[in-house]
Amino acid sequence: MKKIKIAYFLWMVTILMLLVPALSAQEDNEPEEVSSVGTYLNFSTLYSSNDSVELSAKLSIRRGRTFIELQNAPITFSVSNGTDQLDLGEAVTDSTGFARLTVPLTPPLPADDEGLISYQADFQGTDKYDSSSEVFMSKPASLKVSFFEEDSIKYIRVTGMQFNPSGEMEPIAEESIYLFVPSLFRPLPIGDIWLDEEGTGYVDFPPTIIGDSTGQILVIARIDEHDLYGFVKGEAWSSWAIPKYFLAEEKPTRTLWTPIAPLWMIITLIILLAGVWGHYIYAIIELVTIKRIAKENEY
Amino acid sequence: MANDKQSSLLEEFIPQIERTSFIQAIWIFFLLAVIALGFYALYLQIAEGHAVTGMRDNVVWGIYIVNFIFFMGVSYAGALISGTLHLFRAEWRKPIIRMAEFITIIALLIGPIYILLCIGRLDRLQYLVIYGRIQSPITWDVIAIATDIVGCFIFLYLAILRDLSAIRDFQDAKIPNWKRKMYHILALGYQGLPEQKKRLHKATDIMAGMVIAIAVIVYSVLAWIFSVTLQPGWHSTIFGPYFVIAAVFSGCGVLIVVMWLFRKIYHLEKYITRKHFVNVGVIQLVLAALFGYFTFSDYLTKWYGSERNDELLIQLLFDEYFWLFILSNYVGVLFPMIVVGIPKLRTIGNITISAVVVILALWINRYLIVVPTLESPYLPIQDSRTEWMFYNATWIEWALSASGVAFFALMMTIGSKIIPIINVSEMGDKPVPEEEIL
Repeated sequence: MKKIKIAYFLWMVTILMLLVPALSAQEDNEPEEVSSVGTYLNFSTLYSSNDSVELSAKLSIRRGRTFIELQNAPITFSVSNGTDQLDLGEAVTDSTGFARLTVPLTPPLPADDEGLISYQADFQGTDKYDSSSEVFMSKPASLKVSFFEEDSIKYIRVTGMQFNPSGEMEPIAEESIYLFVPSLFRPLPIGDIWLDEEGTGYVDFPPTIIGDSTGQILVIARIDEHDLYGFVKGEAWSSWAIPKYFLAEEKPTRTLWTPIAPLWMIITLIILLAGVWGHYIYAIIELVTIKRIAKENEY
Repeated sequence: MANDKQSSLLEEFIPQIERTSFIQAIWIFFLLAVIALGFYALYLQIAEGHAVTGMRDNVVWGIYIVNFIFFMGVSYAGALISGTLHLFRAEWRKPIIRMAEFITIIALLIGPIYILLCIGRLDRLQYLVIYGRIQSPITWDVIAIATDIVGCFIFLYLAILRDLSAIRDFQDAKIPNWKRKMYHILALGYQGLPEQKKRLHKATDIMAGMVIAIAVIVYSVLAWIFSVTLQPGWHSTIFGPYFVIAAVFSGCGVLIVVMWLFRKIYHLEKYITRKHFVNVGVIQLVLAALFGYFTFSDYLTKWYGSERNDELLIQLLFDEYFWLFILSNYVGVLFPMIVVGIPKLRTIGNITISAVVVILALWINRYLIVVPTLESPYLPIQDSRTEWMFYNATWIEWALSASGVAFFALMMTIGSKIIPIINVSEMGDKPVPEEEIL
């Protein structure tokens, strides 16, 4: 009887062990409610010296600690002054997740009383991704870069102007402007300028900077992450840089593709072959001598 | 002149030369049949062109080049092993050194034949000499192989000279007149005079050193043919030493198998003992470790560099060629190390099996160096049929490969019918005093 009870108990345990994973698997198979993924928009503006603004929005989603950029997503841009809204256009994100739209500043865009323009970027969302929106407020500004020479000293001049609410220009006073020249990976800083009451400042042209083969170089003036203007950029070409001379390559007369082999190769080969074949000849001479000794011994 | 010990050894080994048993005759006939099949395949290849092979515009090298590298590697290994053991006066070498010397010369004769099989226009072969340029690695290879063949022949000749004279002087040998005459001519009148001994000894020592140096240089040159080429997987500075190590590794495997076969055929259990297998096995173990290290180092740097085509190549190796890659670079390295590393497993049978695994692994290794690289070139394969992008060897190529192996076995058999497979003269010598070594 006791044996039957134990057997019964063991059977029950076995059936339970089989059932539990099966039931849990069934639970796993129940369709989950698929929720769409939240999206993130990073939005900023860049005013350039040709009196236009570049609107730049980056769309991404988050996977754990990393952000993944979304490609081919339509982003709509608009401006608003609280009462009126003006659609500026639409751009599609590229492989880096950026959508960019350049908008001229004339006629003036709707601004608030302080001259601040409220730019807005919108992603409408899809079945998979949530919609997102971002606002960036900035005041239109421009930086003009020019060059002048005085008493044989060369200068870079930067003039900063801002648009007041009526659309008229007035100087950007008492601000720091940073100067750069393009380089391989990121712009190379070459100095900074303090703008005076009239929005103008100047600095010595760096005497050691190297340009292209004709001495041309692009000088960039920038204001970055400013509370009022956001990002502002102005640029101009100068011909005062040191010309980059390309050293004329000497035509090698002995290369792999010329009819004559390089000298080092010929010397190496001669040494190797002479060394090896010299020893072979020695060994053969020894064999000949062995035969000669045998002949001498016969007589 | 032969001493008593040498005479008794000759008495024991001369039947090898005197007669060929029925089984040996069948064996030779079988090998000739395989070689004949190879000739038929060669006829088809010449008559119908290289279209009968698996080689096409993209994968222009196939198993002919793999066989060439393999046989050359085996040859250099034989030279390195016999040269080194000779210079170090390793006493245990005496029963096996003749086999290493035979392997060297026979493999060296077979290897370059595969280059000729691979060339589409043999009628233009003379251009290699007429228009050959020193800058070309192919020219280096031709010079190096020619130099190596001459050097190895001289070394082998010096090594067998004493045995040739001993057989010449052995009056009881029942050999035909032409053979006796051949021994008479080849022995060069060597009588074991002190002056002759001294000169032979000196020449052999020098040539032993030379064949080691030549083996390293020539196999490095072969590696440079690949490594100076801008192809994914080939353009590697490590290829020279890597090829040399791989060559000696595969050569050790071939030597062990040859030792096992001759031990069985000629009943050499008294001379070739477990000690010889373990000693060569230990050399094989060290080489396995070095080969594994070089392989890992080569692929690690390629993988970490993340150069696009190197990545594609590694992906191909771990995808299409996964099992071959595992067999070649994991099993081929670990198996001989385990067999020799664990004392209980160090039996003659196990070491021989590990040697067979090594031979297979190293042949596959060369295949994985040649073919996948050509299947993943820098320039995209365009306007080509899908079946032409990837290489599959045809029966013609396999038949010619098999006939190469058969020719190797036949030459080893014939070689053992001309000269005792054990170095009788050296076996009869007293051990060299320690102070005379090197």
